[in-house]
Amino acid sequence: MDMNVSLVLALFFNGIVLGLIYAVVAVGFSLVLGVAQVINFSHGLLFAFGAYFFWSISNTAGFWIALFLSPILVAIMGLLIELLLVRRVYGQDPLFGLLITFGFALAMEEVIRMIWGKVARSVSTPAFAQGQLFIGDIIYSKYRIILAIVSLFILLLVWWVITRTSFGAIIKAGMFDSEMISALGHNLPLLRTGIFVIGAFLAGLAGVIAAPLWSIKSGMGTDILMPAFIIALIGGLGSIKGTIVAGLLVGTVTSLAVLFIPRFTDILPYLMLIVVLFYKPKGLFGEVTVLGEVRGE
Amino acid sequence: MNKKRNIFKDPYLVIFLLFLIYPFIPFIGKYKSLGAELLIWSIFALSFNLVLGYAGLPSFGHGAFYGVGTYAVAITIMHFSSKGVIIPLVMAAFFGGLFTFFYGYLIKKKRGIYFALLTVAFSQILYVIAFRWNEVTGGETGITSLKIGTFLGIGLKDPLYFYYFTFLVFVITLIIIRKIANSPVGKVLLALKQDEKRAQYLGFNTEKYVWYIFTVSGIFAGLAGGMYCLLHSSAFADTLHWTKSGDVVMATLLGGGLVNFYGPIVGSVIFITAREFLSSFWDNWMLLYGLSFVIIILFIPTGLLGIVEKIKERKHIDSFNNGNNNSTMNGENRPAKILNQEER
Repeated sequence: MDMNVSLVLALFFNGIVLGLIYAVVAVGFSLVLGVAQVINFSHGLLFAFGAYFFWSISNTAGFWIALFLSPILVAIMGLLIELLLVRRVYGQDPLFGLLITFGFALAMEEVIRMIWGKVARSVSTPAFAQGQLFIGDIIYSKYRIILAIVSLFILLLVWWVITRTSFGAIIKAGMFDSEMISALGHNLPLLRTGIFVIGAFLAGLAGVIAAPLWSIKSGMGTDILMPAFIIALIGGLGSIKGTIVAGLLVGTVTSLAVLFIPRFTDILPYLMLIVVLFYKPKGLFGEVTVLGEVRGE
Repeated sequence: MNKKRNIFKDPYLVIFLLFLIYPFIPFIGKYKSLGAELLIWSIFALSFNLVLGYAGLPSFGHGAFYGVGTYAVAITIMHFSSKGVIIPLVMAAFFGGLFTFFYGYLIKKKRGIYFALLTVAFSQILYVIAFRWNEVTGGETGITSLKIGTFLGIGLKDPLYFYYFTFLVFVITLIIIRKIANSPVGKVLLALKQDEKRAQYLGFNTEKYVWYIFTVSGIFAGLAGGMYCLLHSSAFADTLHWTKSGDVVMATLLGGGLVNFYGPIVGSVIFITAREFLSSFWDNWMLLYGLSFVIIILFIPTGLLGIVEKIKERKHIDSFNNGNNNSTMNGENRPAKILNQEER
């Protein structure tokens, strides 16, 4: 009996940690999708670059420099992607944005393989975060706990900016009616670029903090893309709260499902997405409607 | 205006003839498997273009239906000891259509980004099932070394025979899909692609049309997948992964599926040939591959046939006629052209 409870609890906490990391990645994806109406399929790639930059820089300049520098480098990448690629496809068929970012991601994944090789890399957890914590009967990895706290902090920070600052208000308004934002005098292209860069920064940051947890391989970008977009859609575009809830939901459900259907746990996020979208087309807490509209409006 | 049938201007015939004599074309003809693959992809891309080019819907998970077709054939042959090829292919078409029928019903009301992302989600569900259901699909290893039967008694082991068998399937598919595209259904789809609200105000139940064409496209995508399995005597899960769906989208766009019925065929030929040669010469070919997506979207989103159409427009050549309009182009670019068709 005891064994089972600790197992379930361990899986549950794993799910929470997983969900929180997913949520950090998903938030960036969701913001870009909501504000710029672009499906950024290079978002996962940015996550991967966060991890790879972290690996390279921490091996040369140490942990802390890597921690600060990597997300910034990824943000710069995001800036370039937005300026050179995404800008050209605003307003067009969403498929174009998807394809251009996807094509770019494919190409860059190959570049990752060319630079860092096909061998998986690993980063060790920093010294202060190593070891386990004993909570009652459960032995839990210290790093995962720190990871969860850091992710939650990041998410709350983003939430605070979006909901409590005037900058956030502009962003939210941009999701409802981008033309109006321009009409009110705000620089819409700058706003879109800004959102994209923020999203990239978050993805890169997620890659950095998740790096010690998972092995760093070239496919990690494509691997995280699906959970990110599912969570963004389940949570509802335009809602940070929604993304967090959705992340936790998907993370814990998939983690616990290992006890029941170990082989097909990967299907669950997709099933959850379909179920949610059919009863709540805007997502659990979503407010934005522009994306499901019949064309011609 | 009654134009005399100019045989050499009819792409229908040109394509038919080119593929007919393919094995005898110098330099390239000897790669008969490649030829079969070009035909298979053409079938797949044509079926896909019914959704993308005609209905204007961004389906990014079509690879799943193709993949379902490969497994349908593989499983039929392996678990039901099918001796021939017709039944497995029928199963492939059936299951392709079955899934699109089911998915189509769920998705027919959605558009734009939601449509695209839901198609990805649907395809991933099928991918995971294919990847993990070891007993039926062989899981990660897939199904290999199938014993392919005969077609009406003719053995298909010889690449030449297989090529012409594929050619036969291709021609039948081409005829059927072309009939659909040129039928009133096709016209309604083009109308809803251009402006769905307007089509609805005209009285058309656009959702039903979307559902219908999605189902039909699944039937032929499945068929193509089935042929692919016969060609390679194997079935693997990765055909269902969403990243593979990108291939057919790019091939279709490259050729000009958005503006012309034959775009998918042109695109498939170029795309597959380029990919085959590129991958055999360079280890890191994926870099160029990904970049080609970017370049195509940025500079030639209407594809090669789109460029051809623009050139012909400038030279005032009335192309691709003979009473049929192959253009899937959005009316807003050339409203006069659509009117002319009606006048005739």
